[in-house]
Amino acid sequence: MNTETHNAEAAAKRAKADPNKCLVELRNIKKAFGGVHAVDDVSLNLYPGEVVAVLGHNGAGKSTLMKMLAGAYPIDSGDVVINGEKTHIRTPADAQAVGIESIYQTLALADNLDSVANLFLGRELLTKWNTLDDHRMDAAGRKVFQRLNKNFKNYHTPVRRLSGGQRQVVAISRAIYFNAQILIMDEPTAALGPEETAMVAKLIEQLKAEGVGIFLISHDMHDVFALSDRLAVMKNGKLVGTYATKDVTEDEVLGMIILGKKPDGKQQTERSAR
Amino acid sequence: MNQALQNLKHSAIDWRMVLMAGVLVVITVIFNVLSEGIFFSAENLYNIAQQTAVVGILATVMVLIIVARHIDLSVGSVMGFVGVLIAFLMYTANWSWPAACLAGLAAAIAVALYQGALTAYVGVPSFVVTLGGLMSFRGAAYLVADGKTQPLTDAFFLKLGGGFNGGIGTTASWVLGVLISVGIIGSMLSKRAAKQRYDVPTNPFGLDLLLALIPVALVLGFVAVMNAYQIPGKDDAQGIPIPVLIWGAVAMFMSFLVHRTRFGRYVFAMGGNPDAAALVGIPVKRVTMLLFLLLAVLTTIAAIVAISRLNAGTNSLGNSLELLVIAATVIGGTALAGGSGTIIGSVLGALIMQCIDSGMLLLDVSIGTRYVIIGQVLIAAVVFDVAYRKWTGDVL
Repeated sequence: MNTETHNAEAAAKRAKADPNKCLVELRNIKKAFGGVHAVDDVSLNLYPGEVVAVLGHNGAGKSTLMKMLAGAYPIDSGDVVINGEKTHIRTPADAQAVGIESIYQTLALADNLDSVANLFLGRELLTKWNTLDDHRMDAAGRKVFQRLNKNFKNYHTPVRRLSGGQRQVVAISRAIYFNAQILIMDEPTAALGPEETAMVAKLIEQLKAEGVGIFLISHDMHDVFALSDRLAVMKNGKLVGTYATKDVTEDEVLGMIILGKKPDGKQQTERSAR
Repeated sequence: MNQALQNLKHSAIDWRMVLMAGVLVVITVIFNVLSEGIFFSAENLYNIAQQTAVVGILATVMVLIIVARHIDLSVGSVMGFVGVLIAFLMYTANWSWPAACLAGLAAAIAVALYQGALTAYVGVPSFVVTLGGLMSFRGAAYLVADGKTQPLTDAFFLKLGGGFNGGIGTTASWVLGVLISVGIIGSMLSKRAAKQRYDVPTNPFGLDLLLALIPVALVLGFVAVMNAYQIPGKDDAQGIPIPVLIWGAVAMFMSFLVHRTRFGRYVFAMGGNPDAAALVGIPVKRVTMLLFLLLAVLTTIAAIVAISRLNAGTNSLGNSLELLVIAATVIGGTALAGGSGTIIGSVLGALIMQCIDSGMLLLDVSIGTRYVIIGQVLIAAVVFDVAYRKWTGDVL
């Protein structure tokens, strides 16, 4: 694959993205593992430049829902509409092809490979003889890592020797370099210190400004209220409700997560106010 | 001083390889002293080199299999089956050697498709698939020729296994040695140029030169030793044995796969974190399948070398070879947990094992004692591996 044209295409797509046009529409998504309905008839939207927090207990189905969007699990039924077009996402490669990048809680990194190898894993830059173009990847990798964290220097040590924050830099760099249009962040600050958490928050602001749409899975109420525009709460595989973050209180959100109870007198919202 | 140390640390030197090479040197020196100089005779070194080739060829691919968190216990049996088949087609069915070898390759690929599909697509652990294969293909090796030994006489074919006419001669050996040396220096220079083009920091030139001159010295030293061995009654010295040449070519090709291709990178990624590999979109099943097919090709090459060394195909060809191959791989620093290992390590591992075995043979150590010792060497290698990883902080 020629990454330069790939990047250019993605950038052009993003520039074209109309802030009023829905980036992702999940319609009536269902997924069962054996007899258990992990995700039951969930519909959710995402617009350019907004952060939608997806909340719920462990096992509420939020990670499963996001993994289906990322192509890690097949969807049983329901539609995924990306930029107004119905899209079939069956593999991670399908998701990447429409500009969806994921940063997983478990940090999907190959611990034995170095940062540069992880950045390009699955999408290596090749020379004209179809061999790995290590020097080009090395140079490009240095630029991306530097942009995210000026102190990042461990380009050629296996990532297992890096700190949690540095590993997160590597994971996020994958989304940045390949110009994600839609970003799924699963507990992006879980393993991080305060400074690194602030770095992630800053980055989210920056990506929002560039028109990237972000699904944020988090247990950290502080993060949710600081970073998200809307929040969607799931319980037992079902969607409890979707609200603008500023319309609800932390207690109301906890009530939705724990009891599945909709807050009284609050209006659900399909998209953030501009 | 400190700066020099930093440079050494960050340079491409693999300290583990240096240590292993040191171990190999110590072992051989001890044997040389104990055998009163016979061990370092050109004849003995020539024999060790060509005896190691079969295990060495298979160890290069076993590295990748183990790195990818698989194992192949059937490699000795499959090699026996393919070897007997090739010998049978040449001797009993009167096929030409190229046709017989291609048929052998086809059989090996059929085996790989079967075992690979079970492992990659059905999800049966490779340990189980190849444990079954270990027995089944040993049986198949018997069935091919009904247990009868298939002698080989084709003069050209017999060269592939080394032996009397199996060296390439002095002139060709020197030419090859010089060409490889030029290649090593050239690749070092082009690597530096590429790094500078992309503004990536390079090692000091002196260090890079030193790192390139070490393999050059090894290659030329090897050629000199092989050229010093002359079988009495022959006009010219032997030169590099053809099986070693094949092994060298295989090792270079495998190194190329590991360092320069997506396939190699994916194998390591799958070994390091299989979930991550799948999540980033690596076609894990297809890569596993390709790995088995690669194994099939190298098993066929090893089978050809083995039967031509033996001048025959027998149904016991490659008996318990899988253990030697896995031992060479592990001694060479491949972690059984997957995710780490090197081709050059497998070369060293195979040499260490063969040197210990041959050395003890020279000293008239009984076969029982030899087995006891080689078994413990394997354990020592793994203990070293665990200690080394703890020391460097690379706990897997």
